[in-house]
Amino acid sequence: MTWRDYQLGSIVSRTAEAMTLWKTERGILQIGEGTLAVPIMSRDQREGFIFHGHGKLILDTIVETESGAVGKPTERELNEPFLMIGDAEKTREKLSGVGPKDLEKMGYKDQKEFIERARAFFDRFLRAEDCKCLGLGKYHGIVFAFVHDGNGLDVLAVKGTRFVYIASEIVFVSNGDKVVLTSPGEVVCSDHGKLLVVKKACRY
Amino acid sequence: VEGFIFVVLHLIIIKYKIINNEFGKVRNELSEELKEEIKKLKEELANLKEQLRDMAEARQRRSRGLHIDVGGSVQDYVEDVMEGVAEGIHGELERSIFIGPGGVRILKGEPEREEHETEVSFPRVAEVMSALGQEHRLRILSELMTGGKYINDLQEKLPEITTSTLSSHLKVLEEAGLVVQEKVRGRYLITMPGRAAYRMARRIARFLERGSQE
Repeated sequence: MTWRDYQLGSIVSRTAEAMTLWKTERGILQIGEGTLAVPIMSRDQREGFIFHGHGKLILDTIVETESGAVGKPTERELNEPFLMIGDAEKTREKLSGVGPKDLEKMGYKDQKEFIERARAFFDRFLRAEDCKCLGLGKYHGIVFAFVHDGNGLDVLAVKGTRFVYIASEIVFVSNGDKVVLTSPGEVVCSDHGKLLVVKKACRY
Repeated sequence: VEGFIFVVLHLIIIKYKIINNEFGKVRNELSEELKEEIKKLKEELANLKEQLRDMAEARQRRSRGLHIDVGGSVQDYVEDVMEGVAEGIHGELERSIFIGPGGVRILKGEPEREEHETEVSFPRVAEVMSALGQEHRLRILSELMTGGKYINDLQEKLPEITTSTLSSHLKVLEEAGLVVQEKVRGRYLITMPGRAAYRMARRIARFLERGSQE
C-alpha cells in the first residue's frame, strides 16, 4: 500500500464535542466542538481525517537532564486544516452530521468548498518529502501533519508514549527516557538523564 | 624355523620401509604447507608495513595541513580530500562538544572567548542577576536543583512563601530563562543556565564570606 491508495472521502462531519486526539505525559492534541472533518479513505476503509476547526497542540519539547532542562514547550493553535492518519474508527464514533452553520463558522459556503481545501492540503502532504519517509502498513501509530508558516508541513508521529515532532525550527524525538532535541545550532541527546550537547560555536 | 624367522624379518623390513616412505610423504607435505604459511605471513607483514607507512604519511600530512597532490591518482586525491573533510569535522567537534557540566568538556582554541562574552547585553545580565537577587527565588532554585517539581510540592517545601508570591517568583525566574514550566504536566524545571546561575551565585557568596573572615 502506498500513499497513492489514499483518497479523501466525500462526507463532511463535525465533532459533537471537544475531543482529545492524543495525550501522553509529554503532549496533548485537542480539538474543539464543531471542528469539521473529512475522512481519508484507503480501499474503502477510513484511515484518518482532515480536520479544520479550533484546536491546540501542546508538546513538552524539553529535555530534562542532570545538568538542567534544555528546550521549551511547544504550543500551537490549530486554526488551519490539519491531518490525522490512524485511530480513525475511534474518532469516527465521536463525529456527527454537519450543518450549514458549522461550515459557515469556519468560512465555507458548502461542503464542497471545505473538501476542496482539504484536498489541496492533502496533496501538499503527499508531496512533502518528510511524509513520504513515514512507513505505511507496518506503522500502527498516528501521524499528524500541520501547515506551518512557510510552504512546508510540521509532522507529529506518535505511537503510545513515544513520539517524533518534526517542525521548521526543531526536531524532537521522545522515546521514554531517551530524548533527542535538535534546534538551530544545537543538538541535545539525553539518555536516562545523561546528557550530550553538540553546539555550534559552544561557549560553555 | 629359520626360514620362518627370515620371512618375518623380511616382512618387518618391508613394513618399515613402507612406514618410512609414508612419513617422508607426510613430512614433505607438512614442509610445503609450512612454507606456504611462512609465505603468507611474510606477505601479511609486508602489507602491515605498507599500512603503517601510509598511516605515518597521513599523520605527517595532517600535522602540516591538508596536502593534495593533484599529480597523483584519482584515488589518492579522493583519499586526501576525505581526510581533509574528516579532519575538519573532527576539529569542529572538538571545538563544540561538551558532555554536561561535571562531565567531559572539550574546549579548544577560543582566543576570542572574552570578546564573545562582552556581546551579552547588560540589560540581559541585569535581568538574570535581578532574578537571582531575591532570597525566596534562590530557595526556589535550590529546591528545583533536586529535580522538577509541581507548584504544590514547592509550596510544601517552602511554606513561608504564599501561593501567589510563589507564582510570581516562578514567573520572574521563567522570564529570566532560569526555570521552565512543562505545559502538559505542569512541573517546574530548572534550566541549564538556571543551574549554572545558581551555582555561580553560591560560589560568589562563599568567596565573599571567606574574604570577610580573612
